Amino acid sequence: MISFRYKEKGTAIHKLNPFCKLAWVVSIFVLSLIFNNPIYLLLLFLSTLPIIIAARAWREWASLMKFALYLCLAIVIINALVSYHGSHLLWQAPFRIPLIGAPVITLEAIFFGVGMSLRLLAIISAFTILTFTIHPDDIMLAMIKIKLPYKSVLVTSLSTRFIPTLIDDVERISDVQRSRGLELDRGKLTQRIKSRMAIIIPLLSNSLDRTIQVAEAMESRAFGSGEKRTFYKEIKLSKLDIPTLISGFLPVILGIFMRWWGHGDYQYYPTLEKISLDGFECSMLALLVFLLCMIVPLALLKKRIELD
Amino acid sequence: MIKIENFAFYYSDAENPALKDINLEIQDGEFVLVTGPSGGGKSSICRCLNGLIPHFYGGKVAGRVEVQGLDTMKHSTKELATRVSMIFQDPENQLVAMDVEREIAFGLENLAFPRDLIAKRMEESLDTLGISDLRHRQVHELSGGEKQKVAIASVLALHPEILILDEPTSELDPKSAEEVLSIVQRLNDELGITVILIEHRLDRVIQHVDRLIVLDRGRVVADGSTRDVLDKSYQEIAEIGVGMPPIIKLAHELENRGINVNGVPLTVKEGRIMLNRVFQKTSGPLPQRDEKGDSKPVVEVEKLWHVYPEGPTALKSISLRIGEGEFIAIMGRNASGKTTLVKHFNSLLKPTRGMVTIDGIDTRKATIAELARKVGFVFQNPNDHLFADTVEEEIGFTLRNLGFENGEIRRRINEILERFKLKEYRRQYPRSLSGGEKQRVALASVLAIQPKILILDEPTRGMEYRLKRELMEFLNEYTSQSNTVILVTHDVETVAEYADRVILLSEGEIVVDGNKRDVLSRALLFSPQINRLVQAFDKYGVPGNILTVGELLQMLE
Repeated sequence: MISFRYKEKGTAIHKLNPFCKLAWVVSIFVLSLIFNNPIYLLLLFLSTLPIIIAARAWREWASLMKFALYLCLAIVIINALVSYHGSHLLWQAPFRIPLIGAPVITLEAIFFGVGMSLRLLAIISAFTILTFTIHPDDIMLAMIKIKLPYKSVLVTSLSTRFIPTLIDDVERISDVQRSRGLELDRGKLTQRIKSRMAIIIPLLSNSLDRTIQVAEAMESRAFGSGEKRTFYKEIKLSKLDIPTLISGFLPVILGIFMRWWGHGDYQYYPTLEKISLDGFECSMLALLVFLLCMIVPLALLKKRIELD
Repeated sequence: MIKIENFAFYYSDAENPALKDINLEIQDGEFVLVTGPSGGGKSSICRCLNGLIPHFYGGKVAGRVEVQGLDTMKHSTKELATRVSMIFQDPENQLVAMDVEREIAFGLENLAFPRDLIAKRMEESLDTLGISDLRHRQVHELSGGEKQKVAIASVLALHPEILILDEPTSELDPKSAEEVLSIVQRLNDELGITVILIEHRLDRVIQHVDRLIVLDRGRVVADGSTRDVLDKSYQEIAEIGVGMPPIIKLAHELENRGINVNGVPLTVKEGRIMLNRVFQKTSGPLPQRDEKGDSKPVVEVEKLWHVYPEGPTALKSISLRIGEGEFIAIMGRNASGKTTLVKHFNSLLKPTRGMVTIDGIDTRKATIAELARKVGFVFQNPNDHLFADTVEEEIGFTLRNLGFENGEIRRRINEILERFKLKEYRRQYPRSLSGGEKQRVALASVLAIQPKILILDEPTRGMEYRLKRELMEFLNEYTSQSNTVILVTHDVETVAEYADRVILLSEGEIVVDGNKRDVLSRALLFSPQINRLVQAFDKYGVPGNILTVGELLQMLE
């Protein structure tokens, strides 16, 4: 099983300051939202690939993408079925549904679904960098740094800490109950829900017992003994991180200007707009992609300099 | 120094006191072992010392507890944390960070220590425990023993004067348990930290400790130097259900028979010296090899391989036969493939290659539910078993799953409740019962089917002596009705006493398979205490394959 958890791989991307990665991910996120043009969205998606390869996270990424593709397929199908705008009729249902009329599928509706899917893929792909290459405790530190209350951050971090334990628990308990003749996939729905209870009740009760023990242990280690608290690890921005941080943020500013000048928009309905990019737009777009990809060489450079 | 005066404690919803009339004084640097049957107040007394009682648990308190001059009523657990540290039973549930370094820093961060001091303390505690190689590891990847060491390192960083350990080894295998205990011993020896250790297995720890306190029903029953208590209060302590190490039992049995031993031996080494005289002129016949004749095979394993997906090869070409009525112990290190092997017997796992046949049925073609009528599987923790509203329903659940008729279900429930002395609890919520009762309900819910083969995965781990004996005697009786019992365990003494045959696994292969007498005697690590003792008397003609106190006494007669 491929785990969707942080794994220490020691690549330049893993070593990069979390704030730099965060800036970069936010960039992709914002750009994917402000642009409609499928060419733009495709390029945004493609610019997430170099960093994933550099982080050696492509296997986890691929299995997540497989799941995302199913989601995209669903988006395309559902959009095609419910959106009747668009002028190129591909198929018209021979029956009528009350209130809605005869369902039609149009070329435009399908393309709209594809466009939205590209947007989704770019965003998911960018976020994998956060989950696969930033240590959960660093995410916690970053959250504290931006002034979220410590206790809520700790609760979040504790719940991630116990996810592997919970998975072990589920496996063990279901072994126990299956050995007692429990068949999870037999019978009607109500029967199936009922048989799940044989796993859920021990799981919940064990977890409740666990919370008390964890609380005891934390108390015994002086948790909450004062208002003040120090942090052993710190995420400091070094000088080397500044260029990376800037190259992470620049694309957003550039993108906003491009949008201001009227680039990157696209009309799907009623007929698909013809895509034409003039020389200036092309060079702006190239610059945008270039800036987004810069994070990889900058990260490699930083690792190199730190080693020296 | 710890001072407890006329102390009594009631949990908030309890009628009976958890602790009563406690008067104790513990000096700095002592190594104290607290033992007694479960429900005797062992855990409660420890929770008084770092203020978890009453600050965390509430309840009613009388008397006074003073730790290093601080009254625990007035000072909370957090304030006491730099003086008293506590390690709990389950290593999993006391670690809060994702990686080892942050785990150790956690307590220091709470106390707002500056970063450079945290770094210094961290180095110290990693080195003291010898776990600096673990520092960058993720907590969830660690083994139980490693987790427990990290837990100790994380409290050691606070420089406590007193270290309390609440059954720290009961979830660990013998080797990790030994490692953890010797670390604790070193902290006491070299750093002078006062250690209060709760443990119900005396044989593991007795040689380390200075003082023994026995608690029963909330009161101190015995208190004094280990040797004194075990000598003078032996009878009393044994009666309340404290499991005695075999060698101490032997010394007392010899005294009872008028043979003078002059005190109690605490270790096998002492035993060899003290008992040398006794065995000099005795020799006897070899104990009978209680071998059962060839019986009808119920489990047949042929060239079984198991490879976990993306994991290691857990079993390598295992072949074996288990007959009707056999009592088998499967032993071996952690991750040697014991549990993987037995999970094939009820089809929880399917062979990667090879074949497993259970009473004539090929497990590759059978579901778990189909095999459940023949194979019962009892797992270690009864909390994983229990979920129903009443004890009755819990037992009925297994029977209903397997399609028994209502009349038959009722008859079997009544029969099994009677058999396990659970009648008075039949309408109670199983999860609110005591540990021993829960274990009985879990066992009853599996045994109601009367499986021909009963598998138990480490059933005695962390179990107190009295319950262990009850369980083993029941299993013995169960095999006498030509049922087969397969026990996965680390517990050598129990195996020596009750099993017939021992299968030893290592790295997924069978290393030895034979009568327990051949496997357990003259082995280095796997021999029970008594066998390690008699090996020294081999030269006098004492048979070297004696395993238990009973056999040795029999020979003397």
